[in-house]
Amino acid sequence: MIKKLTDKFKIASPDIKVALFLILISIILLLFFQKNLITLLTENLSVIIKIIYLTIIAVGISTLIHFLLPAESIEQHLKQNKLIYLFYATILGILTPGPVYAIYPIIVVLKKKGIQNHILVSYLTGQTIVGPARIPFEVGIFGLKFFIYRIILSIFMGPVAGLLYLLFSKILPDKD
Amino acid sequence: MTTLTKAKEVKIYFFQKLWRTLFLICAGLLFALTLSTLFDTSLVEGLKDKINKPMQILYAEIIGFISPGPRYILYPILMKLKEFGVGTGVIITLISGHVLIEPSTGFVESGFFGYRFPLKRFIVSFIITFFAGILTIVLID
Repeated sequence: MIKKLTDKFKIASPDIKVALFLILISIILLLFFQKNLITLLTENLSVIIKIIYLTIIAVGISTLIHFLLPAESIEQHLKQNKLIYLFYATILGILTPGPVYAIYPIIVVLKKKGIQNHILVSYLTGQTIVGPARIPFEVGIFGLKFFIYRIILSIFMGPVAGLLYLLFSKILPDKD
Repeated sequence: MTTLTKAKEVKIYFFQKLWRTLFLICAGLLFALTLSTLFDTSLVEGLKDKINKPMQILYAEIIGFISPGPRYILYPILMKLKEFGVGTGVIITLISGHVLIEPSTGFVESGFFGYRFPLKRFIVSFIITFFAGILTIVLID
């Protein structure tokens, strides 16, 4: 039984391992500080319901984008290596859903197609700091203004990341 | 028939993703709720008074970078931090820093593109996240 669980844990993805680790830490803290889990959950029922329905909306958005924006369309829009593509790459990154591990295969394909690293950095920056599935969480928790501010900030952060990468590459060039 | 197959494919993708995300989110939520019973607003206020704002951004950035895990796991924790009165600058820094680069993705990138790529991306991410946090303090906090 324990061996089976250990084997399952070994093959679990990093996300699941982190989640299990957080559950374990929470249980230890609850036991150590003698807190009642049932009381904790009932006192925060409204927060729990809010988070669950935001998650359902987030996954819905992420599913729609997954089927409406295939990886090939990203490749089509990033074919050239002009500086304006830092901006396009950021926007495409923002629109790409999914965990960062899921986009590395896309990044590898783009690299093989000749897209330069600074453009890939802008794409990665856009993809990681903001995304369509974040909308319900950020609007629901912090408000619409906060999310709009984050989008604007990200549109600047992506190209700046690409430019800085280009600058650092003059000191430490990429090995091809 | 094709539309039906596509709808089925979408449904399977949605539910697979939903259960996985709900599990991750619930783990983050349990952790956030547990932590919130151990801290109170006065403790956070005390910390905010003791640490100057640029240093708050720097600490948030370091915490964000070294924190592993999927992006959504952070939201329940951020929700509680907001209730405790943590500034928008720190929240923006934590959101941006959390997934921009982390030790595990650094290794993945190193495997794909060589060690220079994640190294430079780490430096670039550190700079842009810090300035995004400072800008937010100036504009919003």
